[in-house]
Amino acid sequence: MVEEKEKKNGGRWVGASLPRKEEDRLLRGRGKFADDIKLREMTYLRFVRSSYAHARIISVDTSAAEALPGVVCTITGKEIAAQTHPFIEIAPDHIQKVRDYPMAVEKVRYQGEPVAAVVAESASLADDAAELVQVEYEPLEPAINAEEALLDKSILHEEAGTNRVWSGTWEFGDVEKAFRDAAYVVTIDHMHFHRFSSTPLENNVVIGQWEPKEDRIHYWCNNSFPSFAIQFLAAHLAVHFDRIRVQTADIGGSFGIKITSYPQMSVCALASKKAGGRPVKWVETRSEHMVSSAHGNERTFRDTRVALDKNGVITAIASRHIDDCGAYPRYEPLGCVIYSQVFCGTYRFKNARIEFTQTVTNKCPVGPNRGYSRMQHLWFLERVVDICAYEIGIPADEMRLRNYIRPEEFPYTTPNGCVYDSGNYPKMLEVAKKLIGWDDWKKKQAEARQQGRWIGIGIGTTLDSGTNNFGQSQIINPYAPFSGNSQGANCKLDVYGEVVVAVGSCPQGQGHETVSAQVVADVLNISPDLITVRTGFDTERNVHTGFSGTYASQFAVSGLSAVHGAAQKLKAEMKRLAAFVLQTTQDDLEFGVGEQGPEIKARSTGKSINYWSLANIVNVNSAVLSEELQDVTLNCRYIWRAPFKVPDREKKYGNLTLTYSSQLHIAVVEVDRDTFIPRILDYVAVDDCGVAINPAIVEGQVYGATAHGIGAALMETCAYDAVGNMLTSTFSDYTPITAMNIPKIKYGYISTPSPHTYSGAKGMGEGGAAPIHTISAALQDALFAEGVFINDSFNNGDSIFRSLQQREGGQLSNLVRMEKR
Amino acid sequence: MLGQLGENAKFLAGGQSLIPLLKLRFANPEHLVDLNFIAGTSFIKQEAGALHFGAMSRHAEIEHSALARKISVLHDCAAGIADVQVRNRGTIGGSLAEADPSGDWASALITLDTAVHCLGRNGGRTIHLSDFIKDAYTTALAHDELVTEVEVKIPPKGSGGAYLAFKRSAPVYPSASVAVQLTMAGDVCQDAAIALGCVGLTAIRATNAETALRGQILNDKTISAAAEEARAAADPQPDMRGSAEYKRQLVVALLKRAIQIAVRRARGEQVEGAHLYA
Ligand SMILES: Cc1cc2nc3c(=O)[nH]c(=O)nc-3n(C[C@H](O)[C@H](O)[C@H](O)COP(=O)(O)OP(=O)(O)OC[C@H]3O[C@@H](n4cnc5c(N)ncnc54)[C@H](O)[C@@H]3O)c2cc1C
Repeated sequence: MVEEKEKKNGGRWVGASLPRKEEDRLLRGRGKFADDIKLREMTYLRFVRSSYAHARIISVDTSAAEALPGVVCTITGKEIAAQTHPFIEIAPDHIQKVRDYPMAVEKVRYQGEPVAAVVAESASLADDAAELVQVEYEPLEPAINAEEALLDKSILHEEAGTNRVWSGTWEFGDVEKAFRDAAYVVTIDHMHFHRFSSTPLENNVVIGQWEPKEDRIHYWCNNSFPSFAIQFLAAHLAVHFDRIRVQTADIGGSFGIKITSYPQMSVCALASKKAGGRPVKWVETRSEHMVSSAHGNERTFRDTRVALDKNGVITAIASRHIDDCGAYPRYEPLGCVIYSQVFCGTYRFKNARIEFTQTVTNKCPVGPNRGYSRMQHLWFLERVVDICAYEIGIPADEMRLRNYIRPEEFPYTTPNGCVYDSGNYPKMLEVAKKLIGWDDWKKKQAEARQQGRWIGIGIGTTLDSGTNNFGQSQIINPYAPFSGNSQGANCKLDVYGEVVVAVGSCPQGQGHETVSAQVVADVLNISPDLITVRTGFDTERNVHTGFSGTYASQFAVSGLSAVHGAAQKLKAEMKRLAAFVLQTTQDDLEFGVGEQGPEIKARSTGKSINYWSLANIVNVNSAVLSEELQDVTLNCRYIWRAPFKVPDREKKYGNLTLTYSSQLHIAVVEVDRDTFIPRILDYVAVDDCGVAINPAIVEGQVYGATAHGIGAALMETCAYDAVGNMLTSTFSDYTPITAMNIPKIKYGYISTPSPHTYSGAKGMGEGGAAPIHTISAALQDALFAEGVFINDSFNNGDSIFRSLQQREGGQLSNLVRMEKR
Repeated sequence: MLGQLGENAKFLAGGQSLIPLLKLRFANPEHLVDLNFIAGTSFIKQEAGALHFGAMSRHAEIEHSALARKISVLHDCAAGIADVQVRNRGTIGGSLAEADPSGDWASALITLDTAVHCLGRNGGRTIHLSDFIKDAYTTALAHDELVTEVEVKIPPKGSGGAYLAFKRSAPVYPSASVAVQLTMAGDVCQDAAIALGCVGLTAIRATNAETALRGQILNDKTISAAAEEARAAADPQPDMRGSAEYKRQLVVALLKRAIQIAVRRARGEQVEGAHLYA
């Protein structure tokens, strides 16, 4: 039961920190996840995976596996290629020739790529049988490093003729003039953002059934963007969209990693077809997840040049960015444009040139990992700002204040036409400095330095852009048939008057049931307890649009705008109906809860009608309805559409996202002089997501994103050796962050309501990977005096130890240069 | 029983090494002989100047045992193995029998006077720990021979020890670890035993480092000299836990700290030793 006293903002449920409706189920282990689903005649699939990063397949022999009792069938890449089309490629031109199938056909292109699959009566039999499949390979030269891959010495997709996936230049303002007029020019040769994954607790799961009589495919799965998966699957399987049903249940984390599970969905369907229509279940193991689900994008920044005026205000940035998308583009090259949602970060510079190139390499394909493509760019900008500050000798906080977009400039149009809705970065800095005790730490830092200790204080400012304009895909490929964004919701009084809300999202613990109920509760003036919310994607529930799913920090905006719209529609119908029954005007009606439950009352007469009676008239007692009320269904669907235009494809100019949450973190980090282990001594996270629908949920998201970011900054890296063996295929090697590694986080917030949404809320949740930028900044502060530049996003005791050794050997001196004019 | 089942059978103790191997399909025994629930295999007792641990004593039982605290190294070691779940299952006997190059018990116990009691088809025998561990994953045990008990002599008064490891996170093996046992007379180190873990195929006795301390007044200079000897003695492989150079550096840092803690404990001070985490 939620308490009335929780209501905030003048008696509204929106803004209250209600406990999650879904909490009881999820925290007591009563959730229902895809692997909990048991179907009659279920079979189990196990993949046979490549041990090579790059090799030609000479032969695949499945006969021994097929001979094992209990094996239902096997399926190989060749068989799949014979009955399907390659997956759609988003990139234009030569990439359209890439033949991406869900299993390797002629070549394997990364270690762990599926080559064949076995289907058996039990999961352990499938494991046994998979070991009996014999695959013969002829190893090929692997291309592991992105810049080397671009030399095309060894080409992954011969059809495409090159490893380059896409390239484009973003140029705005007058870059050359800015460099001519600069007081300082800082050059940074090389920076690198590492590969990691947010490793959801629940791995990928697919149950696929090709129902033979109906020629229809039915999936239960935990894909987090099913409407996107269906588009890929329909064209690939040559099955009409309407013949593919996708249902999701509770999902144990995705962070974007589960968007790209459609290749495995294809295999399960085709295997089911071969197994005579029996359902085929695939439950990914952790090692499979690590080698072949999806990793985050890795990016290299070359030849960065920064022009600054005499006050340290950045006037121009020019740089080359090389993005590594792994063996198959899949969701890519969308990352090549998505970064530009935050083209100038939180800064005011107007002149910039970014040459962006993406390449394939013989590594696991990437997927849109939490902070997708923007965090790489934001990290780059934060490094640029910091390194310039140290070179010129301006304190890091002061440097930011001189360069931040100013509060009075919002809504702010960026050089590439994005509109930042609201924000107040100087205020966030002030709040964060206060929380951490900035002046105190500065003092302690100076004292510690006297004693030879290395303590650094770093600031990271980031953006979490939410609610994509899918029209940005046309900057990548003018023929891409997407633009705008939409979400659907349904709100109804059920036959017996129960308020039921359905949304097309598939939440992974974000509390969509709770926040949806809060929104509807305010519209109807009843308690959120009286509202049932159905989440989870189901193609047959009729609330999804082509963009439905849970990804990209948007539910508070797109999802709740749809819920709000549907609730308003329902309320309008309820008013018409109540005015008729109570024989009064709509203005006379009051929504609330009476003795007989939720009701509508006529102020003038004091008469009321409860929800059960209202629903009864429409569904059971319909003969009493007047002619004008025949259209009332009390079952209202609403599609919310974002107010976007298609961006200018040539100029790469236009508004790409609707809302911009911001984060400002400060970390105090000490590097141990003996072990070189960086230890966080103090940490502050300040967040601004406009109006928080449920502040407790927002705070939880901030902690989660912060933990992910700290893990990525100090512990987690998807490592490959020189020939493409994955070195982090288990958690013992990958070491995802655990509670023991998370410092106490001091949380603060400010609220700059978004003018772009009905509620003032902004999408949030990804958090811009703020800790990565912040910890890099703190390490820079700790080690600048030692001559070390932090030019990699991943740092641990080992890497710091080696940087210091290299510095002693004089190898770092040329990385950064400053020219004073 | 294992003898009857033959080569394809294995003992199952806490299962914290064996079960992961089965899961990853690196081991495929046909039979498992479960050692759990055999009465009298899990105990901790003191007898004749030594602590005795039943082979099935769980890491957690040793961690929480007041008796085991009499030897600091034992408590440091037990409390730092992996996470609570692993410590609740894993056993001291299983750990020594597994002889994982990164296993904590072998590295810690080798600095003490430790005997392993074994029981085979032809009766029992007692093997000194330094003869028990032969190589990585190889012990003196016959295939059907059991570890029944681990016996550790209580060090003399004036002796103090410490076991420290660096771990990237709780549920993983250390990148490097160091065990130290020092017998002090005032500021002078009379005797020293130093072992380095995870930086070789088995725990390495850093004898030159021991020599560098013996008979010396312990100060920054002598401690550094010993640490440098330990750096040279380490023979690490590069992997995700660290580059070889860095693991050597960790040995140096850990040893300096462990010596300082051991000295204070030798004086009778209560010092909580804690592993270092990323
Ligand atoms: C996630 C994780 C992290 C870990 N981290 C660490 C760590 O940081 N440090 C560390 O030291 N260990 C670590 N371990 C291993 C743990 O300590 C194990 O408990 C230990 O290595 C083996 O003990 P066990 O009782 O589980 O043996 P089991 O796994 O049951 O057996 C291991 C082997 O020993 C044999 N065996 C077992 N008992 C006997 C006996 N009495 N006589 C003869 N043979 C026997 C078995 O046949 C088998 O071959 C970790 C384990 C896991 C799963």
